[in-house]
Amino acid sequence: MTAGLGVLLRIQWRVRRRAIVTWVVALTASMIGTAVSIASLYDTPEKIQTYASAVTSTALLAINGRVEGLNSLGGVIQDEFGFLAAFIMPLLGISLMTSLTRGEEQAGRHEALLSGRISRHMPVLAASLVTSAAIGLTGIGFTIGLVAEGVPFVGAMLYSLSLMTLAFSFAGLAAVLAQLTLHARNVYALSLLILAVSYVVRGVGDVTGSWLTWLSPLGWAEKTAPFGPQRWWVLAIPLAAGIASTTLAVTLAARRDLGSALVQGGVGPDHASTRVRTGLGLAVWIHRPAIVGWTAGALILAAMMGSLAQQLLDAMASNPALADAIGASGGRPEDGFMAMTLLYLAVIASGYVVQAIGTLRGEESSGRLEAFIGTGMARRTWLFNHVVVIVGGLVMLTIAGSLTLAGTAALSTGSSSAFGSVVAGGIAYLPADLVLAGVALALYGYRPEAFSVAWAAYAITAFVALLGPGLQLAGWMEDLAPTTHIGDPPVGSPQLVPLLILGFTVMILLWAAFAGFSRRTVPRT
Amino acid sequence: MTTPSHSPSHSPSDTPAVIRADGLIKDFGSARALNGLDLEVGHGEVHGFLGPNGAGKSTTIRIVLGLMKATAGRVELFGGDPWREATTLHQRLAYVPGDIALWPGLTGGQCLDILSATHGGLPQSSRDDLIDRFDLDPTKRVRDYSKGNRQKVVLIAALAADVDLLILDEPTSGLDPLMEQTFQDCVRERRADGCTVLLSSHILGEVEALADRVTIIRRGQTVTSGTLAELRRHTRTTVHAVTIDRPDGLEVAPGVHSSACNPIDGHVDCRLSIDADRLDDVVGRLHAARIHTLTVTPPSLDTLFLERYRDEPEGDDMIAAQTGAGNSTAAAS
Repeated sequence: MTAGLGVLLRIQWRVRRRAIVTWVVALTASMIGTAVSIASLYDTPEKIQTYASAVTSTALLAINGRVEGLNSLGGVIQDEFGFLAAFIMPLLGISLMTSLTRGEEQAGRHEALLSGRISRHMPVLAASLVTSAAIGLTGIGFTIGLVAEGVPFVGAMLYSLSLMTLAFSFAGLAAVLAQLTLHARNVYALSLLILAVSYVVRGVGDVTGSWLTWLSPLGWAEKTAPFGPQRWWVLAIPLAAGIASTTLAVTLAARRDLGSALVQGGVGPDHASTRVRTGLGLAVWIHRPAIVGWTAGALILAAMMGSLAQQLLDAMASNPALADAIGASGGRPEDGFMAMTLLYLAVIASGYVVQAIGTLRGEESSGRLEAFIGTGMARRTWLFNHVVVIVGGLVMLTIAGSLTLAGTAALSTGSSSAFGSVVAGGIAYLPADLVLAGVALALYGYRPEAFSVAWAAYAITAFVALLGPGLQLAGWMEDLAPTTHIGDPPVGSPQLVPLLILGFTVMILLWAAFAGFSRRTVPRT
Repeated sequence: MTTPSHSPSHSPSDTPAVIRADGLIKDFGSARALNGLDLEVGHGEVHGFLGPNGAGKSTTIRIVLGLMKATAGRVELFGGDPWREATTLHQRLAYVPGDIALWPGLTGGQCLDILSATHGGLPQSSRDDLIDRFDLDPTKRVRDYSKGNRQKVVLIAALAADVDLLILDEPTSGLDPLMEQTFQDCVRERRADGCTVLLSSHILGEVEALADRVTIIRRGQTVTSGTLAELRRHTRTTVHAVTIDRPDGLEVAPGVHSSACNPIDGHVDCRLSIDADRLDDVVGRLHAARIHTLTVTPPSLDTLFLERYRDEPEGDDMIAAQTGAGNSTAAAS
C-alpha cells in the first residue's frame, strides 16, 4: 500500500523545499508581525475593551468575522489577522498541494517516477504529508509567536490548530480538484472560487448571526472560538473534511490513467486568428489571463470596501485605535479609509505587473522567445510589445479599481463629493507601480535568473503598505516602498518632486531593461 | 485489413513472453487510440516497436506499464496484471519515457539519483561508467542542458538499473550519432546480460541495428510482427546487374515484378524488383548472360515500412520514416 512513499517524500521535499521554507517563514512572520503590532497598540485591558466595543459593526463582522473573546489580546489578534488568515492559510494548502500533484504531473515528471516502485496514488499521499508538515511547522511558529507576545498558551494553541485545519481542509480540496482537472491553473482557479464563496458565506452568516457560518470552512475556524468558549470539538470538522477529501483524491488517483482527468479539455481552433498572429495581439493573448484575474481581484476588493464605507466610518468614529491599526488615521476618516483602500489596490496592481513580467521568463525558457526573435522580429520589438500590453493592463486595472471604489463608496455614504479625488488618487499610484514594473523588467533584461529579487521588492512593498501603519515602522523602512512616496492620496496630495523622481527612476529602469535585453544571451533562464 | 502475421510459436524462447498484449483497445473520450492492438515480446529479445506518429506506441507502453488502463483487451507483464500489480512488476523494469521532463532547478546528477531511487538505487560503478561513456556533466543544472543531455540523464538512469526489462520510448530522439552508437552498444550489452528490451522508435536504422523482432503498428492496430528475416521474406529485393549479353526470359521468370534492360556502353544494364526468395533463379539467368557487375539490395526496414503502409487502403497520413537505414550491398564482377 505504501510502496515508494519514503522515496517520494524525499523527492518532493528536495524539489519543493524552497517554496515550503518560504511559505512557512512568510506566514509565521506575518502572524508575528500582526501580533507585535496589536500587542503594542492595545497594551492595557481598557484599550482592548474599547476595541471590543468598536468592532461590532456589520462591515467588520463581514470582513474579519464574528470573533468571540474580543476582550482579550488573543481575540483582538484573531480579529485583526482574520482577513489575511482567511486567504493565506487556504492558499498555503492549495499552493503546495497543487504544485506537488497536478503541477508535477502536468509537467510530465510523474511518468518516469511512476514507472519505478511507486504506486499511482502515492504522489497524492506524499504531497498530502509534505503539505501537512508545512502546515504543522507554520502552526508551531504561530503558537510560539503568540505565546511570546503574551497570549495564553491554550488559546494560542487552539487558534493555531484552527488555522492549521483550515489550511488542511483546502489542501484536501485541491487534492481532489487536481484529480478532476487537467491543468494546475484550473485547480487554482476552482479552489480560489470555492474559497471566495466560503468567505462570502461566512460573512453573510456572521452578519446575520445565522447557521450559515457553519457551512463555510472559514466559519469552522472561527467557531473554535480559541479566545472565547474554546470549542475543541469543532476542529474535528475541517480535520474530517480534509481526511475525507484526501482519501477520495488518493482513491481517484489510483483508479485513473496517468495524465488524465475526469474533466477533459475540449478542442481548440485549428488556426490562429489574424489578431493573435501579430506580435502585439499575441502579447495580449498571453497576458489576458493575468490582466483579467488581477483586475477581478481589484474590483472585488474595491466594491467590497466601497460598499462597506459607511459602516467602517461609523466603527472608526467610536474607536480611533482601529483607524490607526488599519492605517487610515489622519485627516477626515472617510479620506483615510479611501487612502487605505487605494493603497491596497496599488499593492494588487504591482503584484499584477511583477507576475506579468515574470511570464516573459516562461516564454523564454520554453523556447518560444527564440522562435520569435529567430524569425526576424527584433528583440526590442518583442519586449516593447509585451511592455505595452502589460502597462496597458496596469492602467486598465488601476482605473477600473478606482472607479469601482469611488462609485460604491458614493452609493454607501450617499455623497459623491469625494468621487473625483478618489479616482485621481488611484491613478496617482501608477508611478509607484511602474517602479516595481521597472525593477522586474530590468532584472529580466539583465539577470532573468535573479527574477525572484523582483518578488522580494514586491514583498517589501506589500509588507510596508499593509502592515507598516500598524507596526509603526521607522521612516527609512517606510521609504523603501515606492508607494510611500505617492503621498497617501486623498489624505495628502501627491507632490511634484517625489513624482518626478519616481518617473525618472522608471525611465532609467526601462532603459536598462531594453539595453540589457538586447545584449544578453537568449535563452538565459 | 492486414492480419498480424506472427504466431506465438515464433517466440525465440520457450519461457513465457515478458510482455503480451491481446486486442488492446483504448479510448480517450470519443477518440480511439488503440483498436485491437497485439504485441508480444519474448524473453531476452530486443523488440522493435515501430509506427508513425500518433500510431499508439506511447499509449501501448503506458498500458503495459500500468500507468493507463486499457478500455478492453488483455495485457500481461511478466505474466502479471500491470494495472493491479504495478509496483511489484516495476521492480523488474526500467523505463525511458518519450517526453523527458526533469526538474529544471536540480543538477543532472541529482535528477539521476532521484530517478534511480525509484528503482531502488543504482550501483555507483555503473552510474559512473555510464556518465563517462555518455559524456554527461552531472554537475550542470537541468535548465542549462540541451535536449540531448536531458535525454542522457534518463537513459543512464534506465540503462544502469539492474533490471530484467528495459522499455525505451523513442530514447535517442535528441542524441547525436556518436551517442547513438554508445546507446546501441549499451543496449547490446544489456541484451547479452539477458535483459529484454522493448524499443519504440521511428528511426528505422536504429531498430534494424538492434532488434531481433519487430512489431509495426498503425492507427492503433498491429500491421505486422516477426523477425526481420520473416518480414523481408514477404518483400522485394532490388537487383542491379550489368551483363555482357542480354539475359534471357527475365520478364517471365517467377517472382520478378518488374524488369528493365537497356544497352549501355556495349553492356546491358538490368534493373529488377523481385521476391526475396526468388533470387536464385534470377541470378542464374544473369550468370548465363555473363555478369559484369551485380548489386543486390535486400529490402531495408525503410522500404518494408513504406510498403506496409502503402498496402493500406487509407494511406493518407504522413509516414514518419526517417531514412538512413543501411542498405546491405553485395557487388561482384
